[in-house]
Amino acid sequence: MSASTEQPEIIAQAIGVTRSYPGVIALDNVDFEVGRGEVRALLGQNGAGKSTLIRLLSGVDVPSSGTILIAGTDLGSEGVHGAADRGVATCYQELSLVADLTVAENFFLGKWPRGRFGIDTKAMATRAAEALASLGATIDPNAITGTLTLAQQQIVEIARALQDDPKLLILDEPTSALASAEVALVLETVRRVAAKGVAVIYVSHRMDEIRQIAASATVMRNGKVVKTLSLGESDTATIIRLMIGTDPENQRPQAVDHEPGPVVLEARELAIPPKVTDVSFQLRAGEILGLAGLLGSGRTELLRAIAGFERLGGGDILVDGETIAPVTPRRMRRAGIAMTPEDRKREGALMNLGIDENIVMSDYRSVSRSGVLSVSLMRDASEALARRLSIKAHDLAQPISTMSGGNQQKAVIARWLHADADILLLDEPTRGVDVEAKAQIYAIMRAVADEGKAVVFVSSELEELPLCCDRVLVLRDGSIQREFVAPHITLSDLLEASMASHSTQEAS
Amino acid sequence: MIDTTSPPVALSPGRRVLSSLTANTTLINIVGLLAAIVLLYIVLSTTATGFLNVANQLGLLRQAAIIGITATGMTLVIIAGEIDVSVGPAVALSSVITAEAIMTWGLPTPLAILVTMVIAIGWGSLAGVLRARFRVPSFIATLGLWSMLRGIGQFWTNALPVPLPEDDPIMNVLSGSILGVPTPAWAMIITFLVFGFIARKTAYGRSVFATGGNPAAARLAGINVSRVRIILFATMGLLAAISGVFLAARLGSGNAGAANGLEFDVIAAVVIGGTAMAGGRGSLIGTFLGVLFITLIGNGLVLLGVNSFLQNVIRGAIIVAAVLLNVTLSRRRSAQADD
Repeated sequence: MSASTEQPEIIAQAIGVTRSYPGVIALDNVDFEVGRGEVRALLGQNGAGKSTLIRLLSGVDVPSSGTILIAGTDLGSEGVHGAADRGVATCYQELSLVADLTVAENFFLGKWPRGRFGIDTKAMATRAAEALASLGATIDPNAITGTLTLAQQQIVEIARALQDDPKLLILDEPTSALASAEVALVLETVRRVAAKGVAVIYVSHRMDEIRQIAASATVMRNGKVVKTLSLGESDTATIIRLMIGTDPENQRPQAVDHEPGPVVLEARELAIPPKVTDVSFQLRAGEILGLAGLLGSGRTELLRAIAGFERLGGGDILVDGETIAPVTPRRMRRAGIAMTPEDRKREGALMNLGIDENIVMSDYRSVSRSGVLSVSLMRDASEALARRLSIKAHDLAQPISTMSGGNQQKAVIARWLHADADILLLDEPTRGVDVEAKAQIYAIMRAVADEGKAVVFVSSELEELPLCCDRVLVLRDGSIQREFVAPHITLSDLLEASMASHSTQEAS
Repeated sequence: MIDTTSPPVALSPGRRVLSSLTANTTLINIVGLLAAIVLLYIVLSTTATGFLNVANQLGLLRQAAIIGITATGMTLVIIAGEIDVSVGPAVALSSVITAEAIMTWGLPTPLAILVTMVIAIGWGSLAGVLRARFRVPSFIATLGLWSMLRGIGQFWTNALPVPLPEDDPIMNVLSGSILGVPTPAWAMIITFLVFGFIARKTAYGRSVFATGGNPAAARLAGINVSRVRIILFATMGLLAAISGVFLAARLGSGNAGAANGLEFDVIAAVVIGGTAMAGGRGSLIGTFLGVLFITLIGNGLVLLGVNSFLQNVIRGAIIVAAVLLNVTLSRRRSAQADD
């Protein structure tokens, strides 16, 4: 399976591993192995089973059947500590450093070296500096961690994971939060780690960086390992075909049967440091505009900026042909722009309030009589929207926390329909909702667009975009790289444009 | 995404210098506070008669000690992201326990002091356990304690002072001076040195910073966050007991109504000293200067003969202004963190 000719010593191995959760088989009879000094890329769409495989290898979860071998011994159900004892270190997507402590203190977090008089600060700094230097990083061990760049913090985290001499280092999208300029620093670090003989599993969606760092890649789809291939001998198109399979359902184009309306929103050379450098686009009335891009490509920042929640580094936002400056949430709201946030639970729904209150909170005036909230007006308004958006609830006053994710999301969208917003910016509205609710959300978007409003739809699940968008923009490296217009939106094009185009491949 | 905690990569050189300066808000705070204290000295020595004489300066130290001793522990409590509002009643009840232990229970003075400490550590631990194990917010846990401790003291003594024997040698030392400096001031200085060492150089101290800065990361790193929190509040009990003994020595009695509002001076001193109410950041040096600042203002207002009701107004305004300045200085950083 491995790409190299001589077989390196196998560090970690999964043999016939299956992991099922109620209702889902996350991993289905998977075989996987990674050898000493090898950097193995793990590829696949969201939900392909990459995260589950990582969780099993690092002992966070146990397989339903099959065996995980680390350094030749069965991990069994010994969990995180068992895996760590055998030499597995994992860096998860979210950094786990304490911002106000120094780099050296974070390095030895909870295991500070003792000297004769309390913590041996000098030895701690020296050892941290050595560890960082061995990875080629010049980071001051006495710097306050929060003042470092994210790339530097990521390197501190990797260096910390390496201090117990792991045999296997798992990196889960270590660069997804980084601006592209910082990525090289992390890649160089990973290269040095592998040179020390550590096996590295590298999860990323960025094809160009995978090609720079890994010799071979394991492609997963629907809980199965599709193939492990040598990256030198495979072109990106082949890999993408393996990732998406050949499911004709996914490729179904959206029929376009209406004239685009006037331009309602225009972004001109928007810059939102550090991720977005130059973005220009137009949005027309009656249109659903998809925004594709990998995690960390700046999609969320772009939507937040248009809604007025991020400071612009440059550029203009025009609504109905008029520049809005300075951009504030209040002004953008008044211009008819509404955003539903990515993190529904924390920023979208107010969990303790009823569905009705979650809906009407965007505009209390329309449900008040002479300044006092009217119970009957609130009920009428929320019931009408609940019916229109097929929100299923016996009693609209019941706390929204008791509802399914799909119904919560629909209520959050209904909130802005209640306020009669003209431009809806929907950030991952379909994340974590069931299939039926997804279809309903597509239908809601279409119905809203047909009323002459405009929708911007962000989704990490790229296969959704061909299903419901009139046009899709692909965001990468801080700007719009490609534009696809229905019916010529295909999943493979979107994936390829998000991960890296052929031309940049050949250039690099 | 948790990606807004550090400044953007491509900063101009000017902004980079600026952000590296503001990142270390502790330093700016300390310099600023020192300047404010020097300014207060200059203003008060020219306007308030008797401000600079030795008796007043020693009295200042004595006043500072009552705030300062508990402010050391409070610094760690606030760095850990917690709060303890029970300080005033805890100090008062401690003074009562010491006096009762000597007078009513007939214990020798050292033993009476020890008993006071043990009991106070007990109620501190109780607050700590409520916070750590039962997840009662520390503000509420210690607010309950605040009311209970005050009530117990007043019920027990009928709100009357419990006099100490007049010729107790230990109490005389505690209320007197050593090498010309008031004993409580020595105690305060020692407490600050000890806590400064704990905060910077012990695993426990760094665990406090880690717990306040990022509890999830601290837990992942194997730090026993619950233990840290319980010890924090137990320490507050111990420090309140020490303050209470000094208070009893100075007043010559245990007094359940004493140290009224002390908790606010203590918290204000810590926050003026640059410790972030959100946790994770702070210093004992800052707190020390904060204690001096608050004590100087109190002393100055008295010497200037300001109406005692008006004193409270002015003191409150100055404290809020100082904290406002502090927050403004560290805004750049916290704005990025909260975003």
